Amino acid sequence: MKGLFPQVVCTIFGIPVRDTVISTWFMIFVIIGTTYLIGRRQPVVLEMLVDFVLDQVSGVMGRPAAPYLSVLGTLAIFIAVANVIGAVPIIVSPTHDINTPAALALIVFFSVHYFGIRDKGPVGYLKELATPIFTLPLELIGQLSRTLSLTLRLFGNVLSMEMIVAVIFSLLPLIVPVPLIAFSMFTGVLQAYIFTVLAAVYIGAAVAAFEPISSKERS
Amino acid sequence: MDSGTLVTIVTIIATAMAITIGTIVPALVEGRAVLKALEGMTRQPEMADSLRATLFISMAILESTAIYVLLICLILLFVNPLFDRFF
Repeated sequence: MKGLFPQVVCTIFGIPVRDTVISTWFMIFVIIGTTYLIGRRQPVVLEMLVDFVLDQVSGVMGRPAAPYLSVLGTLAIFIAVANVIGAVPIIVSPTHDINTPAALALIVFFSVHYFGIRDKGPVGYLKELATPIFTLPLELIGQLSRTLSLTLRLFGNVLSMEMIVAVIFSLLPLIVPVPLIAFSMFTGVLQAYIFTVLAAVYIGAAVAAFEPISSKERS
Repeated sequence: MDSGTLVTIVTIIATAMAITIGTIVPALVEGRAVLKALEGMTRQPEMADSLRATLFISMAILESTAIYVLLICLILLFVNPLFDRFF
């Protein structure tokens, strides 16, 4: 059970560095390298990926999601790779340290307010947040609890699947864990999808209501 | 029986009960959600795509209650705050 929790491997300038940090940096370079290679050989694959994410997010938000694609697509790719890379030996999954999901959820939290304020202005955003004034406390609690639930959902799913694999591995180390590892990879990709879709829903709720036939689209 | 042993036994029993109830209830509710979504899909196959997307999101939200229970159980088992008080 000791390998299930993140370990401190070294300290840099007195700051303890966990193994999840190292695997996060390794993962970032893997993503950049893979993207570069695919972009040189088959750029169509990247376009298909962007189109897929754009389609899903636009369908959920009910509007063209191109302004928010940089945040949401990065979240989707990062979480999907982070959950899948845990299946590689030696490398631990970055998301099974609770600090990584917490950082991602905080990114979602701040980007929701950023997009809301950018769309309506600070005063208009605050006014809409407190439109019936007695729901303001509930709204604030909701903002905080959705961040907490994003964190705990991602962390709990990844940790539970790794724990199941570890328990099965200690019972039957041969062949039997393989379908479970495949299932955990599937769950990881699904969690990335869900995290992205929920972030899209939150951002879509914060920005102004979208009119499908606006004057901008007609002209 | 000293207090440390008692705390351990009570913790294990409480964890087992919590994970039992905490997995049964979300499983039943998720089953209901899938059932209703499948009924809707068979009645209106043209709505299947949007129903499936909504089903995934709602399943994730329902699933998170079970995940909270699991995390509480892990905290009780591995980093129990009561152990520091009694040992």
